[in-house]
This record gives sequence, C-alpha cells and structure tokens, in this order.
Amino acid sequence: MSEAYFEEEEFTTQFNGKTVLRILKQALPHWKMLIGFVAAIAVTSVLDSYFTYLGKRMIDEGIAVGNRGALAGIAAAYVGLMLIQAVTVFFFIRNAGVLGERITYDLRKKMFDHLQALSFSYYSRTPIGWIMSRVTSDSERIAELVTWGLLDVVWATMNITTALVFMATINARLALVVFAMVPILVYVAVRFKTKIIVEYRNVRKVNSKITGAYNENITGVRVVKALCREERNLDEFGGLTGEMYRAAVRAAWLSALFLPTVQIISALVVGVIVWYGGLQVELGALTIGGIQAFVSYITFMMWPIQDLARVYAGMQNSIASAERVFSLIDAVPEVQDREGAVDPGTIAGDIVFDHVSFRYEDDKPVLQDFSLQVRRGETIALVGPTGGGKTTIVNLIGRFYEPKEGRILIDGRDYTELSLHAIQSRLGVVLQTPHLFSGSVRENIRYGRLEATDQEVEEAARIASAHEFIVHMPKGYDEEVGEGGNLLSVGQKQLISLARAVLAQPEILIMDEATSSVDTLTEALIQQGMERVMEGRTTFVIAHRLSTIKRADRIIVIENGGVTEMGTHAELLRAKGHYYRLYTRQFRAEREQGVNPFAEQETVEAPALVAEAVPADD
Amino acid sequence: MAATDKRTYLDLRATLSDNRLLGLWRLATGYRLPYLWATLSLAVATIAKTTTYLLLAYFVDHVLGQNRGTAILAWVAAGFVGLAALEGGSSLLSGWLTAKTSEGIIRRLRNYLFDQVQRLSFAYHSKTKTGDLIQRSTSDVDAVRRFYADQAIGMARIAISFAINWAALLNLSWQLGLISVLVIPPVVAVSVYFFRRVSKVYEGYQEQEAKLSTVLQENLSGVRVVKAFARQDYERAKFEAENIEKFRRGKKMTNMHATYWPLTDILCGVQMVGGYIVGALMAINGDISVGTYLAYTALITRIIWPMRNLGRLIVQTSTGLVSYGRLVEIIKQDREPMDEGDYLPEGPVRGEVAFDRVSFAYEGDQAVLEDIDLHCAPGAVVALLGSTGSGKTSLVNLLPRFYEYSGGSLRLDGVELNRYPRRYLRQQIGIVEQEPFLFSRSIRENITYGVGREVSDEEVEAAARAAAIHDVIMTFPEGYKTLVGEKGVTLSGGQKQRVSIARTLLKNPRILILDDSTSSVDTETEADIREALEKLMQDRTTFIIAHRVQSVQNADAILVMDKGRIVERGTHQELLATGGTYRRIYDMQARIEAELEREVSGV
Repeated sequence: MSEAYFEEEEFTTQFNGKTVLRILKQALPHWKMLIGFVAAIAVTSVLDSYFTYLGKRMIDEGIAVGNRGALAGIAAAYVGLMLIQAVTVFFFIRNAGVLGERITYDLRKKMFDHLQALSFSYYSRTPIGWIMSRVTSDSERIAELVTWGLLDVVWATMNITTALVFMATINARLALVVFAMVPILVYVAVRFKTKIIVEYRNVRKVNSKITGAYNENITGVRVVKALCREERNLDEFGGLTGEMYRAAVRAAWLSALFLPTVQIISALVVGVIVWYGGLQVELGALTIGGIQAFVSYITFMMWPIQDLARVYAGMQNSIASAERVFSLIDAVPEVQDREGAVDPGTIAGDIVFDHVSFRYEDDKPVLQDFSLQVRRGETIALVGPTGGGKTTIVNLIGRFYEPKEGRILIDGRDYTELSLHAIQSRLGVVLQTPHLFSGSVRENIRYGRLEATDQEVEEAARIASAHEFIVHMPKGYDEEVGEGGNLLSVGQKQLISLARAVLAQPEILIMDEATSSVDTLTEALIQQGMERVMEGRTTFVIAHRLSTIKRADRIIVIENGGVTEMGTHAELLRAKGHYYRLYTRQFRAEREQGVNPFAEQETVEAPALVAEAVPADD
Repeated sequence: MAATDKRTYLDLRATLSDNRLLGLWRLATGYRLPYLWATLSLAVATIAKTTTYLLLAYFVDHVLGQNRGTAILAWVAAGFVGLAALEGGSSLLSGWLTAKTSEGIIRRLRNYLFDQVQRLSFAYHSKTKTGDLIQRSTSDVDAVRRFYADQAIGMARIAISFAINWAALLNLSWQLGLISVLVIPPVVAVSVYFFRRVSKVYEGYQEQEAKLSTVLQENLSGVRVVKAFARQDYERAKFEAENIEKFRRGKKMTNMHATYWPLTDILCGVQMVGGYIVGALMAINGDISVGTYLAYTALITRIIWPMRNLGRLIVQTSTGLVSYGRLVEIIKQDREPMDEGDYLPEGPVRGEVAFDRVSFAYEGDQAVLEDIDLHCAPGAVVALLGSTGSGKTSLVNLLPRFYEYSGGSLRLDGVELNRYPRRYLRQQIGIVEQEPFLFSRSIRENITYGVGREVSDEEVEAAARAAAIHDVIMTFPEGYKTLVGEKGVTLSGGQKQRVSIARTLLKNPRILILDDSTSSVDTETEADIREALEKLMQDRTTFIIAHRVQSVQNADAILVMDKGRIVERGTHQELLATGGTYRRIYDMQARIEAELEREVSGV
C-alpha cells in the first residue's frame, strides 16, 4: 500500500466531547444496527457471567446434595442459554461488522463527494498523501471506535457489573473486596495500555526509517557502488536496526509485563477470598460452588478490564482521526456558484479581462491590473518565464480561481453570474503533463464527452492524430493505459489527452504545451493534432514551440505578473524586445535539438522559453 | 563491526536450505537456545496455571470445611499468590525472550539483506525491479518476523497447553480425559477450513481497498482534468462503485466471522456441558471428588478454546514460509567480490588507459561493444559522442568494473584491468552523472558521501566553492545542514550536478567519468557548471559522455560511436578535416545562425 511510506503524525488532541458526539452521530442513520449489536452484546455479556453462576449451582444444588434431577435441569438450562448466546454472538458480530463497513463507506463517500466540490486552492495547500490518509485510514479508525470500541465497552461494563451483582448475591462481604480491586485494575491497565501505544508508535516510526533506508539504498545503488560506501552504509543501517531492536523489545516487554501484573493483583484477591472464604465456609456462610464462582469471576475479570483500557487508550487516536476527517468535510470551497447562477447552455467564446488582479498568497501578487480582450476563435499564445503568471491566467479563465480584483467577462457577462458547470463544461483542457485514468484508451478519450459513440471517439482520435498508434496496439482502443497512464509513453499520453479535448467539443480551449521532448515523429503528430483542435475555437496556449507561437493570432509576453509585450509574431520581432530574445534563443535550441543525433530522447527536458529555474506558480 | 558479532552480522547464505522450515530453524542460529528457553518458560507458566487448579481441588477436598485451622488456609492462599507469581514471571520471561530472539533474528536478517542488496552486481540490479526488492526487504521480512514472534511460539503455546492440561486431566480421571477431547479434531478441521477461506476473502477485501485507493489517488492527482471537464459526477459514480464493492466484500467477510465464531462456540460448548454432566455424575457416584470435578471444569476450558485459533496460525505460517522463500532468492545471489584481484598498487594510479580490441556483451546477448581500440595518456580528455544505445555508457562502465569486458585487453597503467580489486579501482575513479542521485541527508553529508575520511568544514566549503554551488547552499535555510529531498530543499538538475562535482572534487580521483549534459539548465548556470567542470578535469584522465558537438572541442580525442563501434576519431580539427558525421553536425550550427538571421529580418 502506498500509505506505507506515509509517516504517521503525532496525536496531540485531547479528549473532546463535541467530537465524540459527532463521531457517535455517524452511526445514527443506522440506529437499528447500532441498537441491534448493543443489545446482542449486552445479552452475550450477561450470559457469560450467568454461565459461571450456573456452574456454581451445578456444584451446590447438584453434586453437593447428589440431586441428579436438579443437575439435569441446570444442564438443560445451560445448553438452552448457550444456543441463545450463539444467536446473540452471531448478531453482534454481524451488526457491528456491517455497521463498521457502512460507516467507513458513508464517511468515504461524504469526503470524496466533498473533495469534488473543493477548489484548487484547497488542493494546492493540502498534499495528496494527507488527503489519502484521511479518506482511507482515518475513516476506518472512526468506524472502529463506533463499532468494536463501543462493543468492547458495552461488553466489559456489562460483564463486570453482572459479575459483581452475582458475587454480591453469593456473598456480599467478599464482593466488596472484589469491588475494591476493580478500580486498581482499571488504573493499572489504563497506564499500561497508554504506554504500550506510545511504544508501538515509536516502533512504527523506526520502521518507516528502515523502509526509507532500504528505499534509498536500492534506488541509489549505483552511486553507493561507485563511491564504495557499502561499509559505512551498513554501519549506519546497523545503527538503525539496533534502534529498531531496542524499541521493539521494549514494546514487547511492556506488553508481556501487562498480563502478569494484572494476574498477580487478581491472585492476591483470590488469596484473600480463599483465606476469608475458607473461614466463611467453615461457618457455613459460603458454599464450595460459591468459592469456585468467586475464583472464576476474579480470574476472568482481567479480560473486560483489559478491553476497557485498550479502548480508552486508543480513543485519543480515534478522536484525532475524527477531527481531521471532519475538518475535510467542513472545508468550504472558495469558488462556488453564486445565488441565481445561470447556465446559458452555449458560450460563444468572447472573453474580456477587465483590470484583473490576482494573488495566491496575500503579500505576493501574481497578476496586477491585467486587461485583455479576446474575440471568439482567436488564438492567444502566452509566453514568458516560469512563475511569470501564464498558468494563473488560464486558471482564471477556467474559473478554477476567481480574480481578487477586476472582472472577467464571457460573452459580455461577468462570469461569476454563470454557474461553474456552465463554464467548465464548455472548456477543453490539455495539460503540460497529461493525466490519464486507469482504464482503456477508449474510456480515457470518452472522458471528454461521456455520451460519445465509439465512432465519435475514433473520429476525435483521428483529428488528434492519435488513431494510428492506438490501432497498432495489441488491443487497440481497448488497451489498458495503466495507473495514471504509465503503460504509455509521454507522447502517447499527450495524443490521447488531445483526443479527449477534441471530443469535448469545447468553445474555449486551454493548452499548456509540453516541454519534454518526444521523438520527431510523435512531435510532428502532436503539432498536427494541436492545429486541428485549435481551429475555430477561442484558444489560450501556454506555448513553448516556435511553430505554435508563430501561428497564434496574438502573442502575449508575461513577466512578473504583467504583460510586457503584446502583438503578432512579426510585430514583436520587429520590436526587438523581450520576445525577440526569447525567440532567437528558442530558435537555436530547437534547431540544434532537431539535427543533433547525439541528444538524449524522451528523458531530457528540451530547452524551452524558460529563463530561470523558479518553482511553478501553482 | 563486521562479522565480529554473530548475533548481529552473519553470512546467512550458509543457513539456506531447500526445506523452508529447516531454513527458518537454521536462520535462527545463535538464537535457538533462548528461543527454547522461551518455550520452556511457557511450559513452566502452563504448569503453574494447571497446578493452581489442582491446588483448588486440594483446597476443596482436603481443607474446606475440615476445620483444619487457619494456618493451612493461609498456606493455601499464599500458594495461590505464589503460583500466580510463578506463572506471571515465567510468561513474562517467555514474552521477553521471544521478543529478544525474534527481533534479534530479524535485525540480523535486515542487516544482511541491506548489505546483500548493495553488494549485488550491476547486472542483477539492472534486471530487477526496485519496487520488488523494497517489497521483499520490508513486508516479506515482516512476515518472517511474525513467524518467530507469533506463529511458531503461538503453536508451541497451544501444543504445550494441550499436553500439560490433558496429562493433568488424564491423571485426574482417564475416562474424563478421553471424552473431553472428542471435539478437538472437528474444531481444528473447521478452524483450518475457515481461516483458509477467510484469508482468501480478506485478500480480495484488501485488493478492493487498493482499487479504491487508486481511484482516489487518480482523482486527486488529476483534479485539474476532473474540474476542467466538469466530470465531478462521473468521478463520484466511479468512486461509489468501488466504495460499495468494498462494503459488500466487508459484509461478506463479516458474515463468515459471524458464522464461524458462534458455530464453534456451540461445538465447544456442547463438549463442555457434556463433560460437566459426565463429571458431575461421576462426582455424585463418588468416582471422583468434588475438588477433582472443579479442577476438571477449569482444565477443560484451557484445552478446548485455544484450538479455535490453531487454524489461523497454520494458515499464517504458510504465508510466512512463502515470504521466506522470496527472501531466499535474494540471499542466494552472488555478491560482487570487492577485493578480488592480485594487483594492488601502493598509491594512486597514473591514469593511462589502453583499450585493445575490447568487446563486451551482457550475459549471452548480442555484443554491445566491439573492437574498441583506444589509448589515452594520463590526464588526457576523451570525449564520446553517439546516439542513445551506441555503447558510450557501456564503454565507461567497464572502467570501474561495473561490468566485465568479455574480450580483448583493457589495461590501466599497463596492468590488465581485471587484476585490480574493484574497491581500489572505484576509489580511483570519480563519476559525475547527468542527473546525479542525491540522498535524503544534509547537503554536507551528500558532498562528503564517498570520501571515506573525516573532512573539515573548510575543505567542504572549498569544494563547494570550486563547484560553484556554495552561494546556492548559503541561501538555504540551514546552509550545509539543510536536508535534501522531501523534508528539505528540492534541488534543480543543475544544482544536483554541482553538488556531485563538489563530491568528486573532495574524493580527488585520478580518473573521471562525466556525463556532460547541461541542456536542462539555463545559460548562466551552464557557464558556472562548465567552469567547475574545467577545474575538476585538471590533471585527471577524463572520459566525457557528450551530447553536443559544441562541448567537446577541447578534448584530446573525440570518438564518435555507433552500434558499439568507434566510427570516427580524432581531435576537433582532425574530425573537421575528415568530413564525416561530426563535420556535418558541426556545420549545421553555422547554418542555424544563417537561418535565424533570415527569419528575423524577413518579418
């Protein structure tokens, strides 16, 4: 599992009543199951205690007085109750188990649905691994608390209570002694379990370090060998496994110490019972069966107490999990439909930026007072260094973010009056690093328009120049692309994502041209595909290739959050400014790449219009 | 360290066996005695527990109601506490010894695997998937750990508990003893059957969880696509399908458990009640005492109930054995002998390299290099040009003996290369890769990684300055102590390369292998790197894997390679004069400029 490398975070949350209530609320929609398993476990628990009492009656009313009839009666009751208990056991396992799965299911559904509504800003500040662990493991931990945790608590409390009641019926004074023992046991057990949890968390931490060390030494094995680091690495690793050894033995030692400690405390009480009870028997106040029952009750009592302690000690973790899950569910999408937002059905594709400013973080403006008018069908090439604001512009057009100041008009209308769906369903997007989903090639293209027929899918693939390579794959359009499309090459992924955009028949097209170099043939196919896709559509392209840039109707050079130059290719070249420098550099690089047989293919980033190595702006 | 402490480092190849159980037994070498002690302590604990019940029987039969005074009551009470202490002490000892041995065995296994993996040959690594190796080193090792920590000792516990309690029972009354175990064979059979099935179902359940994770992961990483195509509802439906399937499978598994446990409850319960009745009747008839009856009811519990878990242990053991088998496949591989070779010079090499009709092929495959002739004087610079797969990387890989040449003669300072021990050779050779691998350690540790001696801060800084990376490092939050990677700073390709240059400067090798690729960095950085490389190359025999004609012009010899052969060779001037591929590509440069001029002026 991918989670394996995800380091567990510290749990610092304290007991929080509100969160516990909200956790319990998760079970409310399924209250029948909840009541079902609580009732079933309660009956099971009472019967467990009653069996011991029946054992006592067997001795006192049967054996001691030689009454075969009574014996038969008690045995019959025993068997009958046992069958009833089998039924209640069936129900508590089934109800608790199914309820647990159901709550996990509910929580995951809720989180996933909500994630679809959350805005880009949420994703840009929350790492994927973080979200993954909320949806996968945190949800399970909550379900576990509501089901098995609650079950253990009910079982344990019922068991202890009924045992005490039976003991009190047998001999009230002795029962008091046991009564005094319970809190001591609970205290000791809770202390132990809390410590044990901490120790095992420590073991897991060291374990993830070991995994990390393996991971790195295996991926970096060439360097290790070239630099003859084997001995020192083993030395360091030996330190790590030594640490692991000590942590694990310590945790195991604590676990092994727990039961004997509890047992010895119980044995002390048994000693008292034997001594004092023995005297009572001699006085006739206690029977043999009574003593036996006491001894059984006491020796068994450590199990419910251990369960209570375990649930209590683990509760902190569950509460922390719950708080993380609830914080995800409660997150408010930053971009959402305004009240009365409309969906006009179609969009012509006239776009106006009206004095737009934008920033991701409050003190770092990315775009300042940006204005631009685009007529339908126009192709706009955005060029300039990474971090200059190109991606921000296309993010704003798609309304993945909204302007902080100024307006964006689509067909003359402030686009916040439209619904998100109205804009985004009219959009076609081709990303720099194409993202595909597991499934067949066909399914991936159809992602652009779900109701498209097979013919339409193929037609789109033809337009995007993807058809040729697809039909040459063993299963053609039914070929699986693998997780994230990793069975295909970068170039193939690009072609498929083009086809996907074609199929969507968008009015507005957004393209982020890839910078990674692919072989010349694929390169030509992509170019050809792109040109066909752009025909007749309002297109914004973050361009890296000269051919793409040159055929744009307008070129906008963006640097430091603003437009430094704007115009056609010819105009800008004549101006001999920023664009001129970018163009000549790119021209040399591209040509050289084209004719150099010694250049590495597919692996090396082609020199694009990138002036410096700044982290990407989203 | 090394081989001194057998309990931490041991050559595990000697312990391998075709019989997996025997192999696991031998893997425990050095830990077997404490492991046996752990088992023995378990037996002591069981005996103490059993004796407790016998004491109870004695108490009921001979003390209770006999008016034998309070002293004997006190003794019996003390007996109960004493036996509990003995039982507790022994089980603690057993738990502790089990942990010490199983963790000890695993520690040694981890150490060995780690070392094994880093000492396997390049050929092995190039044909083995990284993920597979990591998987084996982590989850398979853990499965073997559970074998020692849970399964073996767990089965021993059940067996011991059965043997001791049954013996005690037979001793009390052999008739009772015999009828009390009737249910065990069916319970064990059902248990094995159930756990075998449920572990299959559980696998399916886990697979479904993995599928669900994949959908989630793809959705999250593809959030731009999802939003751009407004496919939220489609994604919800996709997730729902996997989510509900997971729920269904969980329900199925729950139902299996909900059937198994009460069913075996009834099986075991019927046996117990039956035993109770027979025992009670015997007691009424006077065949056994009441105390015996009491002891019997306690002992029978300890014989029957644990049997329900036997199936789980048996099934899990079989997965542990499979994991062990997978580890054996790694352990049995041959290591690369680092010190093999009969020629070990005192000081460093001079760096004179001579290839004489050298050829090379990966195991039984077609030749990758053929007829390589090359002679270079100490300190010379040799540039290799050629397309991907032309053999230039294979050629330089022969020098540190990452691979062994299969024909011809390759001499270093006049001595055949394979007479030098690998360790010595690798200390003499420095490698700067195109995209160097850096470790998740501090920058300083990355720079001193291969030096093999203590290095002063001044030295590190001097190397970093020479590699034109010092200024960059100083901008990081913690300077040289800044961690590289996820938990620290992410370095660009060019920065990584310069760290690697600093590393190589400190190592100060006589021979240098450079993968010269500056295409991913900007002009300014390129100049810095070039300068740093110039410094590095001074007085060292250098092999450059080049990707552009422009970057090799100063080399003493330029080799153009194609399909494993050298097709053109000479200095820059010579190659220009010859007029081959090299010349053609060089000329292209001038043409590009002319073309650009036309382009720009034509608008």
